[in-house]
Amino acid sequence: MLERRIYAADAAALQPQRITVMQGQALVSAEPQVEFTTVLGSCVALCLFDPDARVGGMNHFLLAEPPSGFAATAVDEHYGTYLMELLVNQMLGKGARKARLRAHLYGGANVNRNMMRIGTANAEFARGFLQREGIDLLRADLGGTNARRVDFRPASGQVRCKTVEDRLAPTPQPITRPAIATGDVELF
Amino acid sequence: MSTTTTRILTVDDSPSMRALLNHALTTEGFDVSQAEDGIAALDWLALNEVDVVITDINMPRLDGFGLIERLREGSRHRDRPILVLTTESSDEKKARARAAGATGWIVKPFDPQKLVAAVRRVSH
Repeated sequence: MLERRIYAADAAALQPQRITVMQGQALVSAEPQVEFTTVLGSCVALCLFDPDARVGGMNHFLLAEPPSGFAATAVDEHYGTYLMELLVNQMLGKGARKARLRAHLYGGANVNRNMMRIGTANAEFARGFLQREGIDLLRADLGGTNARRVDFRPASGQVRCKTVEDRLAPTPQPITRPAIATGDVELF
Repeated sequence: MSTTTTRILTVDDSPSMRALLNHALTTEGFDVSQAEDGIAALDWLALNEVDVVITDINMPRLDGFGLIERLREGSRHRDRPILVLTTESSDEKKARARAAGATGWIVKPFDPQKLVAAVRRVSH
């Protein structure tokens, strides 16, 4: 009886627990059965993995152009850097070390002709962020014209990326800063 | 009217964030120096003078809370304005920063104009 229960537990452990990472989300896990999944058109997903801590995380974003009055960079770098820092901080909170982080980048396809510039700019922003932060980029599958599906096991760092029909990719919604993310100042 | 340039030390482990801060502050005429964590900030402050410190919370070696506590321990930086600039939004963390001796709390992503206004306000 005990043996049968152990087998049942092993089988349950092998069953992936798929969690969809929606646009604007950043999720982190160290659970072996967890598999993050997302479908990308123009959007970009950053997958981070710490091989020693066995913890990984994925985000899914498409940055808007900066708000009026900001420097005319291609995308909203202030908000983009903030979104990346949220993912990195979640990783550190689960025991990862920044110096050990390994990255994969996916997406940024030119699926929609009107979104071409912003998709490419987002991919360039993500590459630039990793370069500035000194995070090793192990694999990048960016650009092109096809949508992609990415499955990522955060505890092992395993990634599968395959092209899918464009209609499966969600309509990208450029991220505008939420009302609370306005850099509010409180003096004590 | 004084024309002395306000000297700022920014403390953040992210080179991307340091670059954004450096650009936002130097274009407004501030004299900006940068450190990558609390220990590097203490080393720099041991040899240099500054008017305002802007620090992140989550950093390796010595975090923002530890940096503020260490600066407030001595007499030299007891009254130095220290602004916390962080992705943290919890009231508990904000209260901890205040108890440690922070002068203000700014939530990322920062608005350059609001940041500059806060620096001018605490440095005068």
